[in-house]
Amino acid sequence: MDLHSVITLSVMLLQQMCVYLAVAYALSRTKLFIPLTRATIRWPHRLACYVIFTAFCIMGTLLGFPVVSGNAIANTPAIGAVLGGLLGGPVVGLAVGVTGGIHRYFLGGSFGLAAALDIVMQGLIGGFTHRYLIRRGKTRLLFSPLLAGGLTFVSIVLEMGIDLALSRPLTQALHIVSLIALPELIANTAGAAIFAKILLDRRDSLEQHSRAFSAKALEIAAHVDGVLRDGFDQENSMRVARIIYDQTGVGAVAITDCHKILAFIGIGADHHLPGTPITSPHTLYAIANNEVFFADGNEIPYQCSLNPHCKLGSSLVIPLVGEDRQVIGTIKLYEPKTRIFSTINRTLGEGIAKLLSNQILDGRYERQKSLLLQSELKLLHAQINPHFLFNTLNTIIAVTHDDVAQARALLTDLAVYLRKNLKRPAEDVQLSDEIEHIDAYLRIQLARFADRLSVVFDIPPPLLGIRLPAFTLQPLVENAIKHGTSQMIRPGQIRISASQDEQGVQLVVEDNAGLYDADNGGGLGMNIVDRRIKNRYGESFGVTMSCESNVVTRATVRIPLEATS
Amino acid sequence: MITALIVDDEVHARLALRRALEPARDIHILAECGNALEALVRIRADKPDVVFLDIQMPQVTGLEMLSMLDPKDMPSIVFLTAYDEYAVSAFEKNAFDYLLKPVTPDRLELTLERLRHSQFHPDFSVLPEVNHLRQIPCFSSQSIVFLKLDQVEYIESRASGVYVVDTLGREHLTSLRLNVLQLRTPLMRCHRQYLVNVDQVAKLQYIDSGLAEFVTHSGRILPISRRLLPEIKEQLGIA
Repeated sequence: MDLHSVITLSVMLLQQMCVYLAVAYALSRTKLFIPLTRATIRWPHRLACYVIFTAFCIMGTLLGFPVVSGNAIANTPAIGAVLGGLLGGPVVGLAVGVTGGIHRYFLGGSFGLAAALDIVMQGLIGGFTHRYLIRRGKTRLLFSPLLAGGLTFVSIVLEMGIDLALSRPLTQALHIVSLIALPELIANTAGAAIFAKILLDRRDSLEQHSRAFSAKALEIAAHVDGVLRDGFDQENSMRVARIIYDQTGVGAVAITDCHKILAFIGIGADHHLPGTPITSPHTLYAIANNEVFFADGNEIPYQCSLNPHCKLGSSLVIPLVGEDRQVIGTIKLYEPKTRIFSTINRTLGEGIAKLLSNQILDGRYERQKSLLLQSELKLLHAQINPHFLFNTLNTIIAVTHDDVAQARALLTDLAVYLRKNLKRPAEDVQLSDEIEHIDAYLRIQLARFADRLSVVFDIPPPLLGIRLPAFTLQPLVENAIKHGTSQMIRPGQIRISASQDEQGVQLVVEDNAGLYDADNGGGLGMNIVDRRIKNRYGESFGVTMSCESNVVTRATVRIPLEATS
Repeated sequence: MITALIVDDEVHARLALRRALEPARDIHILAECGNALEALVRIRADKPDVVFLDIQMPQVTGLEMLSMLDPKDMPSIVFLTAYDEYAVSAFEKNAFDYLLKPVTPDRLELTLERLRHSQFHPDFSVLPEVNHLRQIPCFSSQSIVFLKLDQVEYIESRASGVYVVDTLGREHLTSLRLNVLQLRTPLMRCHRQYLVNVDQVAKLQYIDSGLAEFVTHSGRILPISRRLLPEIKEQLGIA
């Protein structure tokens, strides 16, 4: 073995490898390589895979160095063949191998036939490894530089065996193998590993690209913001679908509720008609199971359920989720058969679905809230109790006779009470406003039940400035009178107090009647107060009632500290 | 002269009515009462010709108070209300007299004219509140206890008064009469001195000479009068 020649050849082959890889790197920045960054691909992409790796295979042969008067070539077609098979599968591997092999065969030399068969063998090694890994579900491994290098190493060792077996005379074959074995092992192994690394990087950079794409996602979010809040119907869905279609550039976009298509834009819009029932089994599956369903058109076949000639080739169905995790519809993205469904659009689609779900939910919540508010308004208006009003007037008439000043004060109190009662319940007020309202009411009650009612206020002055929804305490105080002290023969007392702790502010209304009946609930007023606070601040706040029979009934209102700032 | 009682839980309302009645020389106000229980006592004691009766009062409403009165003690009633659509429509239907607060002099004069000329006493028991006693007011040393009917085991009339015995065996003195309780509650008269809550009866047992007695769930024995036995057996479905 001529060590010097071997080293020289190794260095030269590595130099050529640099040229080879430079070409590979340059090409990897183009769109040409995008199909190669994915293992599961359709036939057009397999074709692209075949063409590109055949080119690399032939380039590897051409960049080689003839040895022993051109009988053999120290070269690197193995990289193209192995990677072609690895990424494109056995068929692509075979095709690359055969094409590269034929090319090599016609370059001649005593090693010609053997070298041609080597390339076919290398394509098949790649191809069958592809098949093996795919069946094992280890798609990600296909891009491992270590695997590519290792496979290439093995394929070169086999190549040397084939060369020795097929080339004659044997002495010459032995000589040639001793010359090219080491350079080829080094150059091919390193080359394949680096090539795979280039592809992996390209793939990662695509992922980074997808991160840049999230900017686009935000843009979509901004555009669709609030559209579905006004209602999840055909008109609004169409607007949203249009925005998504324009921004993502997917083949088509559809939005459905649980039964029919609400909107469809893009390829196939001629037969995917809004208003028609859902027929796609994927969509029905997604709705039934509340699961994202992705038919990439390859591993999971996709065929339009409406028209056999539909150009759409892959589809992503994402459920829209409403209250209590109930599916309320779906959003669907499609790509035509000629295009790959990018992971970017896949992620984007899921994000959009989440966004739209929240919007629909928000919208429903808003509508419910305003309905609630309207009914509250009606109820509160109805709650200016005529019995109270006429009794008050009767009291004032009686008082006028003996004490004009008191009568005047009572009329003022009545005016304050009525005016405050007309306030919109949607407003926030300061606690001092609410106290003023209650005070006017209680002063009238004190006049009515002069001989058997007393009132105590215990509100620390700093708390008078806190804000709370209007009509929070008023209904509770009215309850304490109506269902409490006014039902007592012995003297009644109402006590209104406020305190603050880490959890928030507590407002307490007590009466000493102790007649609260938990089975009857606390009355409409109390329920509204409770629901309104819970709606606004969450379940841990609201009104709680406690009662010690014939001793005390206590209504405690809890509101958060934040609400008060 | 017409004697009158004013019953209203609001002091100014009583005052207002008293003033409105002042010009009527033939009306003599015997007393004012702040609740129905005081009124019951005064009605029995003073036997007024007319009671001006507020409906909305604590513990016992004006209508309930009527259910506690013996029909033969029943005075003329003029209901008072500030606002009670339901009650007013019932009064209209049954031609009971009522006044809306604040009372106008013209309307009051009309009422007084009726009182002066009409001797008829309408039957208030057509109102369900009057016909059915919901609770029995009982007086303890300090306070008034209201017993619901399902808390009652039996009621016994003794020389010292009418006693309600509850299911826990406690005795409560009530001012209501036995015949009113019999009339206005589902309690069963089993003896001249006893009313029994049939739901509390464990068994009816025969003793000598065709007599029988009730045994309650708490083991108390209540006599059944010979005169009432056939009627009771019929009511209980015992042949």
